Amino acid sequence: MITIKNLSASVEGTRLLNNISMELESGRILGIIGPSGNGKTTILMCLCGLLPFESGSITIDGQTLLAKESKTISETLWAFRKKSGIVFQHLHLFPHLTVLSNIIEAPIQVSRKTRTEAEREAMLLLEKLGIDQYRNKFPEELSGGEQQRVAILRALAMNPRVLMLDEPTSALDPIRSGDVRQLLQEFAAEGHTVVIVSHSVRFLKGFVDHLAFMGKSELIEINTTKELLEHPKDERTREYLRFSELS
Amino acid sequence: MNFNPRPATKKLLILLVLLVCDALVAGAVPRLRWGADPSGGAPYVFSDPSHPESYTGFDHEFAEALARQMGMNAEFMPTDWESIVASLQRKEFDVIINGFEPTEDRAREVLFSKPYYLFQLQLTVRKGESRIRSIEDCKRLGIAVGTLVNCSSSRMLDAGGYQSVGYQDPVGAYKDLEIGRINAVVMDVAAEMFYARKNSSLRQAGKPFNTGAYVVGIRKEDKALLTRVNAAIDSLANNGTTEKIFRKWDLWNEEQLTLRTERPVKYEVTSAMFNWSEGLIKLSKAAGVTVLLAFGAMVIAVVLGVPLALGQSNGNRLVSSLCTVYIEFFRGTPVLVQLLFLYFGLPVVGITLPGWLTAIVGLGLNYAAYESQVYRTAFQSVPSRQWHVAYSLGMRPVQAFRRIIFPQAFRIALPPMTNDFVALFKDTSTAFAIAVWELATAYRELANATQSYLGIGVVVCCYYLAMSLPLAHLAHRLEQRLQRKSAGILSSGSDK
Repeated sequence: MITIKNLSASVEGTRLLNNISMELESGRILGIIGPSGNGKTTILMCLCGLLPFESGSITIDGQTLLAKESKTISETLWAFRKKSGIVFQHLHLFPHLTVLSNIIEAPIQVSRKTRTEAEREAMLLLEKLGIDQYRNKFPEELSGGEQQRVAILRALAMNPRVLMLDEPTSALDPIRSGDVRQLLQEFAAEGHTVVIVSHSVRFLKGFVDHLAFMGKSELIEINTTKELLEHPKDERTREYLRFSELS
Repeated sequence: MNFNPRPATKKLLILLVLLVCDALVAGAVPRLRWGADPSGGAPYVFSDPSHPESYTGFDHEFAEALARQMGMNAEFMPTDWESIVASLQRKEFDVIINGFEPTEDRAREVLFSKPYYLFQLQLTVRKGESRIRSIEDCKRLGIAVGTLVNCSSSRMLDAGGYQSVGYQDPVGAYKDLEIGRINAVVMDVAAEMFYARKNSSLRQAGKPFNTGAYVVGIRKEDKALLTRVNAAIDSLANNGTTEKIFRKWDLWNEEQLTLRTERPVKYEVTSAMFNWSEGLIKLSKAAGVTVLLAFGAMVIAVVLGVPLALGQSNGNRLVSSLCTVYIEFFRGTPVLVQLLFLYFGLPVVGITLPGWLTAIVGLGLNYAAYESQVYRTAFQSVPSRQWHVAYSLGMRPVQAFRRIIFPQAFRIALPPMTNDFVALFKDTSTAFAIAVWELATAYRELANATQSYLGIGVVVCCYYLAMSLPLAHLAHRLEQRLQRKSAGILSSGSDK
């Protein structure tokens, strides 16, 4: 369960999140839509403890991060970061490590798992997505879609409570395929939370069960996917949806 | 337009005519071009302190008198002492008049005139030194003796099996003696009188010894010139001109009177026969010193470069600007000047390091500035998102740096670091300036002593290549390995 209370954050002096509050139950997949530059990525960065915020608080699965704690390196921040995992828009795999090493690096370094154990778990994940034959390849040898799967597995290997994906459709071979979708849905069904930021309403439709629309630095509305798409309450949401259907 | 010279043009014409006349007159009186090294050359030949544009010294006065006696105009050609014989051979001048001693090895290259002065050697130590009373004491106690390179005293030390340190000029030798880098200096009395006797912290050890002679050096083929020079030396000795000159410089003694007689005068001729096996041992030792300098300096550079790079890009304003000042200072001034500064400057504030250590520290400080920039560029070219990813996976800063950022930066930094190391290898040759016996110094000394610039030169280059090629090869292989690793050519399972 994610609880965001009165969250405000700025990047380089520009207010990108303004007093945002929302709640999301475990086991849900949330999609965040809205025009670019309106704070969609910023909210992800705050949710995984990478961006210090000015005020408010975020609670994931009982672990709360206050504004002042987000600014300094502390045990709370480390504990909070372990609750979430993120897949960046440009993936940022570790180019000097093989596929397998990309996935097992954090479990070994952070969770202190043995190499054998970490490899066994990683191989299960790789097999699930049918890319176990790439385990000893380096990221640059893989296609965009394959790289994306590795990035997702790298985050999942740390078993976070929340998994966030930033613009997953911009990968060359985006997660359209059923096995990745299935993996994310399974992950949510196990009681985790998935948050996906995307500008593509078409992609999110029929995949996420909640949708949030972000206007200028604000959360305009959040609802079940069906409700938000069929009966948007706010004029700005309606306008955006009309516009995105045209494109 | 008709030609109508204006006053300015007229003046120019007159000047031109005068210049031509001058040249003709000068051409009429033959010139005696004589070579000597005026740097640290007192009291032989040196810049006149009261007229820095002109030279003075007993050899200067003697050369003037000699030329006049021969009906010629003396023309002084400043040169470098260490390679003075080679310069004579290249006809940069016609005679050497520079406290030049006859030695067996030089006899193969040049003709010697009759002696015009008999000199002795003097051993000098610090005031408080009680162990050393004679040059034999130095040998017995294994004390290295400082002296001028390429002169009779250096040959005497080599032949006698003494440990020696070669200096380019007397100033450096006595300075190092004074501050304790060396414990004894042996030098011609003339130089000792001028540079050491008035120094209250030094004293003479024992009496002057080992009588030798100063002669005029002439090219082998100039036999006629030799006859004329010898005749002139005799005349100057007999008409009292030589006495007048050396009395003026307080170097006259009764022994010089023997030079007036027709009988050949007895003096010692030192020899330095080049022995290839001994020479190779010397060169190998020097190569060892070069390796020590390069590795020592690189360790300092690689380690010190890290705080410099971090300080410059992540420190607060004060730290950052201090690092920038450091980097710009060491990159913007010649490493040779920095070495001299450390060698002669540090003792002023009470820090006296031996030459080799000064070279390691100096080169290390210098290259640290370059390494810091290599690191900075390397770390900047690792995307900041790599940090974010590592943090999002729960890694601590140290873990993220060690496992994720450093390996990537290292790949980028390796090629320029290799380049720097090879450059550093070659830059160790600047240590010759502070009397470190490394490979380039060894080459200069051995080649000058034997006139075998080509043979020894080839050997020295082989030494350098034997050291730098494996290094370059190693670096190349490491680079390839890293690249291959990122390209994934390594077979499966090798990552375990």
